[in-house]
Amino acid sequence: MAYRVLITDDSPAMRSFVRRVIELSGFELSACFEASDGAEALAVLRTEWVDAILTDINMPGVDGEELLRRLAADEMLRGIPAIVISTDATPNRIERLMALGARGYVTKPFRPESLRAELERTLGAPCD
Amino acid sequence: MTDRLKETTIHAALAAAVTDVLESMFFIETFEESSESPEAPATEVEIRFDGDPPGRFQMRLAPEAAQCFAADFLGEDAGSVSERQSADVALELANMICGAVLSRLESSACFRLDSPRIVLAGGLAEAAEASRFTVETGNGRLTAAIQWGGRTCLATAEYVS
Repeated sequence: MAYRVLITDDSPAMRSFVRRVIELSGFELSACFEASDGAEALAVLRTEWVDAILTDINMPGVDGEELLRRLAADEMLRGIPAIVISTDATPNRIERLMALGARGYVTKPFRPESLRAELERTLGAPCD
Repeated sequence: MTDRLKETTIHAALAAAVTDVLESMFFIETFEESSESPEAPATEVEIRFDGDPPGRFQMRLAPEAAQCFAADFLGEDAGSVSERQSADVALELANMICGAVLSRLESSACFRLDSPRIVLAGGLAEAAEASRFTVETGNGRLTAAIQWGGRTCLATAEYVS
Protein backbone atom coordinates (compact mmCIF):
# COMPACT_ATOMS: atom_id res chain seq x y z
CA MET A 1 0.00 0.00 0.00
CA ALA A 2 1.29 3.46 -0.87
CA TYR A 3 0.67 6.47 1.37
CA ARG A 4 0.09 10.19 0.98
CA VAL A 5 2.23 12.30 3.34
CA LEU A 6 2.43 16.00 4.19
CA ILE A 7 5.79 17.40 5.38
CA THR A 8 5.62 20.69 7.31
CA ASP A 9 8.89 22.48 8.07
CA ASP A 10 10.08 26.06 7.58
CA SER A 11 13.43 24.79 6.32
CA PRO A 12 13.30 23.87 2.61
CA ALA A 13 16.47 21.84 3.11
CA MET A 14 14.84 19.80 5.89
CA ARG A 15 11.67 19.20 3.84
CA SER A 16 13.78 17.98 0.95
CA PHE A 17 15.84 15.76 3.26
CA VAL A 18 12.81 14.17 4.93
CA ARG A 19 11.18 13.48 1.58
CA ARG A 20 14.37 11.90 0.23
CA VAL A 21 14.89 9.80 3.35
CA ILE A 22 11.33 8.47 3.18
CA GLU A 23 11.78 7.53 -0.47
CA LEU A 24 15.21 5.96 0.07
CA SER A 25 13.98 3.97 3.06
CA GLY A 26 11.63 2.05 0.80
CA PHE A 27 8.49 3.45 2.39
CA GLU A 28 5.88 3.57 -0.36
CA LEU A 29 4.71 7.08 -1.18
CA SER A 30 1.94 7.75 -3.67
CA ALA A 31 2.05 11.50 -3.01
CA CYS A 32 4.13 13.87 -0.93
CA PHE A 33 3.04 17.43 -0.16
CA GLU A 34 5.08 20.17 1.50
CA ALA A 35 4.22 23.17 3.66
CA SER A 36 6.45 25.80 5.24
CA ASP A 37 4.29 26.37 8.35
CA GLY A 38 1.07 25.31 10.03
CA ALA A 39 -1.13 27.70 8.06
CA GLU A 40 0.16 26.40 4.77
CA ALA A 41 -0.29 22.83 6.02
CA LEU A 42 -3.95 23.50 6.86
CA ALA A 43 -4.43 25.02 3.41
CA VAL A 44 -3.05 21.88 1.80
CA LEU A 45 -5.33 19.73 3.97
CA ARG A 46 -8.39 21.62 2.70
CA THR A 47 -7.77 20.29 -0.79
CA GLU A 48 -5.73 17.11 -0.38
CA TRP A 49 -6.30 14.01 1.70
CA VAL A 50 -3.17 12.66 3.37
CA ASP A 51 -2.52 9.56 5.47
CA ALA A 52 0.04 11.20 7.77
CA ILE A 53 1.51 14.58 8.66
CA LEU A 54 5.17 15.05 9.57
CA THR A 55 5.69 18.39 11.31
CA ASP A 56 8.43 20.51 12.79
CA ILE A 57 7.58 22.50 15.94
CA ASN A 58 9.57 25.73 15.84
CA MET A 59 8.21 27.54 12.79
CA PRO A 60 7.31 31.19 12.23
CA GLY A 61 3.60 31.99 11.98
CA VAL A 62 1.45 28.98 12.88
CA ASP A 63 3.96 26.74 14.62
CA GLY A 64 3.78 22.99 15.19
CA GLU A 65 2.01 23.22 18.55
CA GLU A 66 -0.72 25.42 17.11
CA LEU A 67 -1.04 23.12 14.11
CA LEU A 68 -1.63 20.18 16.47
CA ARG A 69 -4.29 22.20 18.33
CA ARG A 70 -6.08 23.14 15.12
CA LEU A 71 -5.98 19.57 13.83
CA ALA A 72 -7.47 18.31 17.10
CA ALA A 73 -10.23 20.92 16.93
CA ASP A 74 -11.22 20.01 13.38
CA GLU A 75 -13.63 17.09 13.01
CA MET A 76 -12.45 16.33 9.49
CA LEU A 77 -8.73 16.46 10.29
CA ARG A 78 -8.35 15.10 13.80
CA GLY A 79 -8.13 11.52 12.53
CA ILE A 80 -4.99 12.16 10.50
CA PRO A 81 -1.97 11.00 12.50
CA ALA A 82 0.67 13.69 13.06
CA ILE A 83 4.28 12.84 13.79
CA VAL A 84 6.51 15.53 15.27
CA ILE A 85 10.09 15.83 14.02
CA SER A 86 12.04 18.04 16.41
CA THR A 87 15.49 18.67 17.82
CA ASP A 88 13.95 18.89 21.29
CA ALA A 89 14.34 15.55 23.04
CA THR A 90 13.33 16.70 26.51
CA PRO A 91 10.68 14.42 28.10
CA ASN A 92 8.55 17.42 29.18
CA ARG A 93 8.26 18.69 25.61
CA ILE A 94 7.54 15.22 24.16
CA GLU A 95 4.83 14.62 26.76
CA ARG A 96 3.29 18.02 26.06
CA LEU A 97 3.15 17.46 22.30
CA MET A 98 1.72 13.96 22.64
CA ALA A 99 -0.96 15.45 24.92
CA LEU A 100 -1.77 17.97 22.18
CA GLY A 101 -2.51 15.12 19.81
CA ALA A 102 0.79 14.03 18.23
CA ARG A 103 0.74 10.29 17.53
CA GLY A 104 4.49 9.93 17.06
CA TYR A 105 7.75 11.72 17.80
CA VAL A 106 11.09 11.57 16.01
CA THR A 107 14.06 13.43 17.46
CA LYS A 108 16.58 15.07 15.15
CA PRO A 109 19.15 13.80 14.42
CA PHE A 110 17.52 10.56 13.29
CA ARG A 111 18.50 7.65 11.12
CA PRO A 112 16.37 6.90 8.03
CA GLU A 113 15.19 3.60 9.45
CA SER A 114 13.92 5.36 12.60
CA LEU A 115 11.70 7.68 10.56
CA ARG A 116 10.33 4.82 8.49
CA ALA A 117 9.66 2.74 11.62
CA GLU A 118 7.77 5.61 13.27
CA LEU A 119 5.72 6.21 10.12
CA GLU A 120 4.83 2.52 9.89
CA ARG A 121 4.04 2.27 13.60
CA THR A 122 1.79 5.30 13.43
CA LEU A 123 0.02 4.13 10.29
CA GLY A 124 -0.26 0.56 11.53
CA ALA A 125 1.71 -0.64 8.53
CA PRO A 126 3.95 -3.69 8.84
CA CYS A 127 7.69 -3.18 9.36
CA ASP A 128 10.14 -5.32 7.35
CA MET B 1 22.53 25.40 35.25
CA THR B 2 26.19 26.23 34.64
CA ASP B 3 26.82 25.95 38.38
CA ARG B 4 25.69 22.33 38.25
CA LEU B 5 27.58 21.47 35.13
CA LYS B 6 31.28 21.14 34.73
CA GLU B 7 33.01 22.48 31.66
CA THR B 8 34.02 18.92 30.83
CA THR B 9 30.34 17.93 30.75
CA ILE B 10 29.54 20.77 28.36
CA HIS B 11 32.47 19.81 26.14
CA ALA B 12 31.38 16.17 26.15
CA ALA B 13 27.82 17.15 25.21
CA LEU B 14 29.10 19.31 22.34
CA ALA B 15 31.29 16.46 21.11
CA ALA B 16 28.50 13.88 21.30
CA ALA B 17 25.98 16.18 19.60
CA VAL B 18 28.29 17.11 16.71
CA THR B 19 29.31 13.51 16.15
CA ASP B 20 25.75 12.18 16.37
CA VAL B 21 24.30 14.74 13.95
CA LEU B 22 27.06 14.35 11.37
CA GLU B 23 26.97 10.56 11.49
CA SER B 24 23.17 10.17 11.54
CA MET B 25 22.10 12.83 9.08
CA PHE B 26 25.17 13.32 6.88
CA PHE B 27 26.88 9.92 7.17
CA ILE B 28 30.18 11.67 7.88
CA GLU B 29 32.88 10.32 10.15
CA THR B 30 34.76 13.05 12.00
CA PHE B 31 38.01 13.42 13.89
CA GLU B 32 38.46 15.80 16.80
CA GLU B 33 40.93 18.62 16.16
CA SER B 34 42.95 19.84 19.13
CA SER B 35 43.99 23.06 17.43
CA GLU B 36 41.72 25.54 15.74
CA SER B 37 43.60 27.48 13.13
CA PRO B 38 41.48 30.12 11.43
CA GLU B 39 39.87 29.11 8.17
CA ALA B 40 38.60 32.21 6.44
CA PRO B 41 36.15 32.93 5.04
CA ALA B 42 33.85 30.61 6.97
CA THR B 43 30.10 30.29 7.41
CA GLU B 44 29.06 31.21 10.93
CA VAL B 45 25.64 30.50 12.39
CA GLU B 46 24.25 31.73 15.69
CA ILE B 47 21.24 30.54 17.67
CA ARG B 48 20.19 32.43 20.78
CA PHE B 49 18.08 30.57 23.29
CA ASP B 50 16.00 31.33 26.37
CA GLY B 51 15.98 28.96 29.31
CA ASP B 52 17.71 28.42 32.60
CA PRO B 53 20.02 30.16 31.90
CA PRO B 54 19.77 31.76 28.45
CA GLY B 55 22.71 31.66 26.11
CA ARG B 56 23.80 31.31 22.56
CA PHE B 57 25.09 28.52 20.37
CA GLN B 58 27.55 29.23 17.59
CA MET B 59 28.84 27.13 14.72
CA ARG B 60 31.61 27.89 12.27
CA LEU B 61 31.90 25.81 9.13
CA ALA B 62 34.57 25.83 6.44
CA PRO B 63 33.12 26.79 3.03
CA GLU B 64 34.07 23.49 1.36
CA ALA B 65 32.49 21.56 4.22
CA ALA B 66 29.31 23.64 3.96
CA GLN B 67 29.03 22.86 0.26
CA CYS B 68 29.68 19.12 0.72
CA PHE B 69 27.23 18.89 3.63
CA ALA B 70 24.54 20.58 1.53
CA ALA B 71 25.18 18.20 -1.36
CA ASP B 72 24.95 15.15 0.94
CA PHE B 73 21.87 16.43 2.71
CA LEU B 74 19.99 17.31 -0.47
CA GLY B 75 21.22 14.39 -2.55
CA GLU B 76 22.78 16.62 -5.20
CA ASP B 77 26.22 17.05 -6.74
CA ALA B 78 28.45 19.46 -4.82
CA GLY B 79 28.94 21.52 -7.97
CA SER B 80 25.22 22.12 -8.41
CA VAL B 81 24.52 23.32 -4.85
CA SER B 82 23.63 27.00 -4.69
CA GLU B 83 24.88 29.44 -2.07
CA ARG B 84 21.32 29.64 -0.71
CA GLN B 85 21.03 25.85 -0.40
CA SER B 86 24.41 25.69 1.31
CA ALA B 87 23.29 28.35 3.81
CA ASP B 88 19.93 26.60 4.42
CA VAL B 89 21.67 23.33 5.27
CA ALA B 90 24.18 25.11 7.53
CA LEU B 91 21.26 26.70 9.42
CA GLU B 92 19.54 23.33 9.81
CA LEU B 93 22.79 21.67 10.86
CA ALA B 94 23.33 24.29 13.58
CA ASN B 95 19.71 23.89 14.71
CA MET B 96 20.11 20.13 15.09
CA ILE B 97 23.43 20.35 16.93
CA CYS B 98 22.14 23.06 19.28
CA GLY B 99 19.00 21.07 20.11
CA ALA B 100 21.04 17.92 20.67
CA VAL B 101 23.48 19.72 22.99
CA LEU B 102 20.77 21.31 25.14
CA SER B 103 18.81 18.05 25.39
CA ARG B 104 21.94 16.27 26.57
CA LEU B 105 22.85 18.91 29.13
CA GLU B 106 19.49 19.28 30.82
CA SER B 107 16.93 16.67 29.87
CA SER B 108 14.19 18.08 32.11
CA ALA B 109 14.60 21.76 31.26
CA CYS B 110 12.71 23.72 28.63
CA PHE B 111 14.67 25.88 26.23
CA ARG B 112 13.19 28.07 23.54
CA LEU B 113 15.44 28.40 20.54
CA ASP B 114 15.40 31.43 18.26
CA SER B 115 15.66 30.78 14.54
CA PRO B 116 19.24 30.15 13.46
CA ARG B 117 20.84 32.94 11.47
CA ILE B 118 24.00 33.50 9.50
CA VAL B 119 26.24 36.06 11.24
CA LEU B 120 29.36 37.93 10.31
CA ALA B 121 32.47 35.86 10.95
CA GLY B 122 34.42 36.48 14.12
CA GLY B 123 31.90 36.16 16.96
CA LEU B 124 32.98 32.64 17.77
CA ALA B 125 36.30 33.89 19.11
CA GLU B 126 34.55 35.14 22.25
CA ALA B 127 33.52 31.70 23.46
CA ALA B 128 35.58 30.10 26.19
CA GLU B 129 37.96 27.36 25.07
CA ALA B 130 36.33 24.67 27.22
CA SER B 131 32.90 25.31 25.70
CA ARG B 132 33.84 24.62 22.14
CA PHE B 133 34.47 21.54 20.06
CA THR B 134 36.21 21.33 16.69
CA VAL B 135 36.21 18.44 14.24
CA GLU B 136 37.86 17.82 10.91
CA THR B 137 35.19 16.65 8.47
CA GLY B 138 37.42 15.74 5.56
CA ASN B 139 36.42 18.91 3.72
CA GLY B 140 37.34 21.46 6.37
CA ARG B 141 36.66 22.09 10.01
CA LEU B 142 33.47 22.51 11.96
CA THR B 143 33.54 24.26 15.32
CA ALA B 144 30.57 24.31 17.68
CA ALA B 145 30.52 26.52 20.78
CA ILE B 146 28.09 27.36 23.52
CA GLN B 147 28.07 30.40 25.75
CA TRP B 148 25.83 30.83 28.79
CA GLY B 149 24.40 33.84 30.46
CA GLY B 150 23.39 37.34 29.42
CA ARG B 151 22.96 38.30 25.87
CA THR B 152 25.98 40.13 24.52
CA CYS B 153 25.80 42.37 21.50
CA LEU B 154 27.54 41.19 18.36
CA ALA B 155 27.72 42.70 14.94
CA THR B 156 25.34 40.43 13.06
CA ALA B 157 23.79 40.28 9.64
CA GLU B 158 20.61 38.49 8.67
CA TYR B 159 21.08 36.11 5.79
CA VAL B 160 19.51 37.60 2.68
CA SER B 161 19.50 35.93 -0.67
